[in-house]
Amino acid sequence: MVLLDIFDPKAPPKPIGIDLGTTHSLVAYVRDGRPVTLTTCDGTALLPSVVHYGEHGSILVGAAATSYATRQPERTLQSVKRFMGRGAKDVDPEELGAYRFKRPESEAEAAVVRFDLGQGRSVTPVEVSAEILRSLKQSAVDQLTHVGGVVLTVPAYFDDAQRQATRDAGRLAGLEVLRLLNEPTAAALAYGLDQKKNGTFAVYDLGGGTFDVTILLLDDGVFQVKSTGGDSALGGDDMDRLIAEQMLVAMGCTEPSTRTSEVVSIALDAARQAKHVLTDEDRVVVQLPKRGGGEASYELSRATFDSMIQPLLERTGRVCRRALRDAGSSASAIDGVILVGGATRVPRVHSYVEELFGQKPLGDIDPDRVVAYGAAIQAELLAQASDEVLLLDVLPLSLGIETMGGGVDKILPRNLTIPAGAKSVFTTYADNQTGFEIHVVQGERELAKDCRSLARFTLKGIPPMPAGMARLEVAFDVDENNLLKVSARELTTGIEQHVEVKPSYGLSDDEVEQMLIDALDHGEEDFAARRLVEARVEASRLLLATRKGLLDDGDLLPAEERRRVDAAMEELEAAVQSAGRAGVVQLKLDALDAATHDWAGRRMNRAIQAAIAGKAVGEVEKDVAQAEGVEAHLERHGHRAGDEDTKEAR
Amino acid sequence: MAAATHSPSSRSGVPADPFITLGVEPGFEIDLAALERRHRDLSRALHPDRHQDKSAGARRQALSRAIEVNEAFRHLRDPVLRAEALLRHLGIDAAEGQEPKASPELLMAVMEGRERLAQARAAKDGAALSTLAAEVAGEERKTLAALGEAFADARQHPSEHRDRLLDLLGRLRYQRRFLEEAALIEEELF
Repeated sequence: MVLLDIFDPKAPPKPIGIDLGTTHSLVAYVRDGRPVTLTTCDGTALLPSVVHYGEHGSILVGAAATSYATRQPERTLQSVKRFMGRGAKDVDPEELGAYRFKRPESEAEAAVVRFDLGQGRSVTPVEVSAEILRSLKQSAVDQLTHVGGVVLTVPAYFDDAQRQATRDAGRLAGLEVLRLLNEPTAAALAYGLDQKKNGTFAVYDLGGGTFDVTILLLDDGVFQVKSTGGDSALGGDDMDRLIAEQMLVAMGCTEPSTRTSEVVSIALDAARQAKHVLTDEDRVVVQLPKRGGGEASYELSRATFDSMIQPLLERTGRVCRRALRDAGSSASAIDGVILVGGATRVPRVHSYVEELFGQKPLGDIDPDRVVAYGAAIQAELLAQASDEVLLLDVLPLSLGIETMGGGVDKILPRNLTIPAGAKSVFTTYADNQTGFEIHVVQGERELAKDCRSLARFTLKGIPPMPAGMARLEVAFDVDENNLLKVSARELTTGIEQHVEVKPSYGLSDDEVEQMLIDALDHGEEDFAARRLVEARVEASRLLLATRKGLLDDGDLLPAEERRRVDAAMEELEAAVQSAGRAGVVQLKLDALDAATHDWAGRRMNRAIQAAIAGKAVGEVEKDVAQAEGVEAHLERHGHRAGDEDTKEAR
Repeated sequence: MAAATHSPSSRSGVPADPFITLGVEPGFEIDLAALERRHRDLSRALHPDRHQDKSAGARRQALSRAIEVNEAFRHLRDPVLRAEALLRHLGIDAAEGQEPKASPELLMAVMEGRERLAQARAAKDGAALSTLAAEVAGEERKTLAALGEAFADARQHPSEHRDRLLDLLGRLRYQRRFLEEAALIEEELF
């Protein structure tokens, strides 16, 4: 195993973008200013999102796995994206599928969907997705040698649970997840930078299992989402199911008992193929095996297919109209419609979108690759901390807390620009009450039980007080990944509350860590080694960034602080060279962080002043005295000798 | 447990003044285009994307300030929230329920409006719905203009104009809620 992965400024790790799709996944990077997809283990750009678990422990991903789909459907998992962040209760027993789900044996187990592979083995959607990501990562390493951070895309309408699950899958696959990026935004980024067009655009993203619509404003490097809407359980797969249902009848399999996984798998596979044929042909005839022997002939015309999928399309239409309303826009105000996702190749989808928006969708984009391209671009921009592009995305679903009566108190409304945050002040209802629970939900419904339960936050350690006296301020922050963080403070005493998070779904940090350890050959040992490498890479990166920062804003550091920063940097360098454990490096990282804390604030003030003045940060040198803010200004004038030192040090 | 207030994020538990955060002259009439530009400019400097290469502490600082800026922007963009922020700025408590008793004339208008809305919904009458929404939208425009004037007058002696301002704010809240409901009904029916 390669232990030394020290960051070499001459050959920096290449950041990549990954589109983890329902039916296909891709990995891309930016080469010479343009995004390109990498070849996957199948030798193609598109890797089927299929994983086969062999009886003797082998794991296959991609086309090799797909070949087992009809033979061993229960060990060959497809379209697991639909189950990410979902619990056993969310699975619709009526829906056609070849999965065999494991019945949960406890409340805790029921929090996550599990697929029963037989012989006592089961896997979660996170683990399956991690296999796909691992394969893509390997392809990237094979072609790029040094792989840096990754931007993973998610449907815009994914809730917090689904996003956390995606990030967990990334971590499990050993990826450094830089950002979770919404798929429509990724597409708009790729399209916008390529075409350099400005205006209001609608991205209509119909994938295998999810539907998103996003209304964005593109304006010279600014990509501002106005609104987003969607349905995270609607996609091309649903079209397949409609056809498969009819095929099963033709096959003589109407009774549920006749619908074994193999039979369903055959029908779904044939349905998908029929759908593809109807993209170019007016009708398709399929020979299907018949129950009891022989063959059945099934015929489908495009006209019939079109009417079968009309209800699905109308669902997307309702979502689009709401998104337009939320954006304060209308179809006529849209300058262009961008189609994303394989399902948009269906001719009826194309014509429906044209009717909906009153214009022909834009034609110069590859609906299969555009999301991966956008992810690669964002990864590159983040790695450079570039200010060339400003991406302003939104919270897709309202966040609220459950009230006494089972209703929802909305704290952060949907379509809020992220990062966003709000504070709520609570009080106790009983004397000496030292803790209480907050149930956070996500969704637009009136009742908490109809919304997605995200987590129960238990606040502990409230100082004993008469009822109603405590002032518990709970801060709900949604970060740039659209992930929720909760923190709490008791205002009368100022004590930071211990907030315990019990997620309603998914895996805790400890569980993910344990899975990582289990997955490595030498468990704990390898895990520790990996952590050390990661810590050293992060340290090298930070040292480089700090040195650069000193060149730009070294004048904002008075002598004494500068000495502390220099000392902290030296200690961190030493740790990178000689430390045997990640913890040691982390300590020095934290120390440098602390030493540069105030300076970081001043740098931000300077950047703000420059931004408001409409100038680029570098041009502001002459105005520093005014722009610095009171603190820095006073320091300068109070430390004459130090001032000179600082100037020289630059 | 009773939640008391939801307010824009700030460091001390007191709602941050969105006018100060965005560096905008406090007032009700606002240049929305300039506000957007200001928001974008600040976002360029503070958005987490720009601070990817910094230390964890610096990233946290940027994140918390970016949140403040976004919250301030949201409060100034929406006329009701903007009016509330302005009232706070002028030292007038503007929480809901603080309004002086609504005039009989307003109460009548509210009741009539709700009845017509319910009727249009029951009859699935799209035309009636549109007409009603257009009427209330017209009323809303008048209220916004009146608020602009009232705030301008209130600059010198805010407390003297308290009742008028709160009354207008109450109307605006009602009108906007009405329009939201009408939009939801339209979505539901069509």
